[in-house]
Amino acid sequence: MIKPKFAVLIDLSGTLFIDDAAIPGAVTALKTLLDNPLFAVKFVTNTTKESVPNLLKRLHHVGFSYISQEQVFTSLTSARNLVEARSLKPMLLLEPEAIGEFEGIQSDATGVPQSDLNAVVVGLAPSQFHFERLNSAFRLLHANSDAVLIGIHKGRYYQRKDGLALGPGPFVAGLEYVSGRKAIVVGKPEQEFFQNAIRTLPSTFSPENVVMIGDDVNDDVLGSNAIGYKSILVKTGKYRNGDEENITSLPTAFVFPSVVEAISEILKNGGVVFGSA
Amino acid sequence: MLGGKPVRAFLLDVTGVLYNTSGNNSGIAIPGSIEAVERLYAESKVKFLSNESTATREGFHEKLTKLGFKLNVEDIITPAPVAAKYVQEHGLHPHLLVHDGVKPEFAHLPETKNSDCVIIGDAEENFTYDTLNDVFHILHGHPERPLLSLGNGKFYQRTDGPCLDVGGFVAGMIYATGCRHIELGKPAPTYFLKAVEALGVTPEEVVMIGDDIHGDVGGAQAVAMRGIQVKTGKWI
Repeated sequence: MIKPKFAVLIDLSGTLFIDDAAIPGAVTALKTLLDNPLFAVKFVTNTTKESVPNLLKRLHHVGFSYISQEQVFTSLTSARNLVEARSLKPMLLLEPEAIGEFEGIQSDATGVPQSDLNAVVVGLAPSQFHFERLNSAFRLLHANSDAVLIGIHKGRYYQRKDGLALGPGPFVAGLEYVSGRKAIVVGKPEQEFFQNAIRTLPSTFSPENVVMIGDDVNDDVLGSNAIGYKSILVKTGKYRNGDEENITSLPTAFVFPSVVEAISEILKNGGVVFGSA
Repeated sequence: MLGGKPVRAFLLDVTGVLYNTSGNNSGIAIPGSIEAVERLYAESKVKFLSNESTATREGFHEKLTKLGFKLNVEDIITPAPVAAKYVQEHGLHPHLLVHDGVKPEFAHLPETKNSDCVIIGDAEENFTYDTLNDVFHILHGHPERPLLSLGNGKFYQRTDGPCLDVGGFVAGMIYATGCRHIELGKPAPTYFLKAVEALGVTPEEVVMIGDDIHGDVGGAQAVAMRGIQVKTGKWI
């Protein structure tokens, strides 16, 4: 069996699809990439409102019926890996749809009493962001100076159907302030996130053989370049004209109209992206 | 005399010095405090400098009277009336995220549909995702709109444990919007100096007594007052 030479990390929302539609040509292009043994692929996303099974349903609905659960890595998965690695027992400030990601882990969701918990995990969880629940999280951190505060990511706000709404960031920042400690943030663009994603692949890859494809110049491009990966900014989704001016890390960053053109170039035995065109 | 200098007046913190809070808006007088207040009234001048923002001054006075304290309601200084005065003086129309108990202190302000600032206090159960989003929507994209907070404490002590104060929510809003923050209450210097003015003395002649080393003692010392920390309340 051919061992893959390159790892390709691909963002989901804005890169492979937008709302209920796949990016034109993406379903076919992506299948070609996945069928090529030269490449190991992982889908990476900061979504925290739903677990991977729910996310998968949406991907299948949009046309990517061949994507499987093991191929998707979210910031929730990254948080779970961290909790497991440190044998933590967390209080989970997550929506019910996301708690499934922590199955098998002892937490307040499995009935561990507050006095035995030693971590707080904060995701995008509107149902948890009220006084009583936040006070419980504060008391846990206040009573135990070794308790760990984990933020799935620190997004300030996100787009809802009815306008902008607060993301998990302000609540992580508030808990950091009152507890006097820094949160470990495990989503994009943190190093931890990208490294954890690569670790889930069956082979190991040195940074120059990894590329991240995404529409967010900060979270996807600058975040991955910071640890020596190549990156591709696609001009779909969150992309706005001029975003590429923010890239100071050329020539490790490339810009393509969409994921279709990016994949097409990579399939040329790595293409200009990996310097073997 | 204290440290060789005469003391002509006292500023007393209330929560954690005169009494400790319990749940359900009740409290327990700290042993000796009732007598101490009587002595201060008899032998010196005293005012009560509090960051209390879940009740009006009258409500606060009533609660302390029930606990056995004898003090004048005019001697109680709290942030909400200071905030109400501030927005009036600056022609601002505030959106309120405060405890229901302190809302009457703002009742005299004209109603507005177009808020151009936010007054936030320790709103306790009024802190929900929706009410915080309302504040976010007013401040986001409007750097000229200030966030006025009634105090900025991280937490306060209740007999059943520590409780989030307004500070964490302010920190969250600043993170979300980059807004300008105006703090009304201890340890803001103007808050101490207005109380000193009301006592009719100079800062050097006043001693502040409190349980919060930063909010009470540190704040007082920063405006040339002397500060005494007591080993009750937050000290525990």
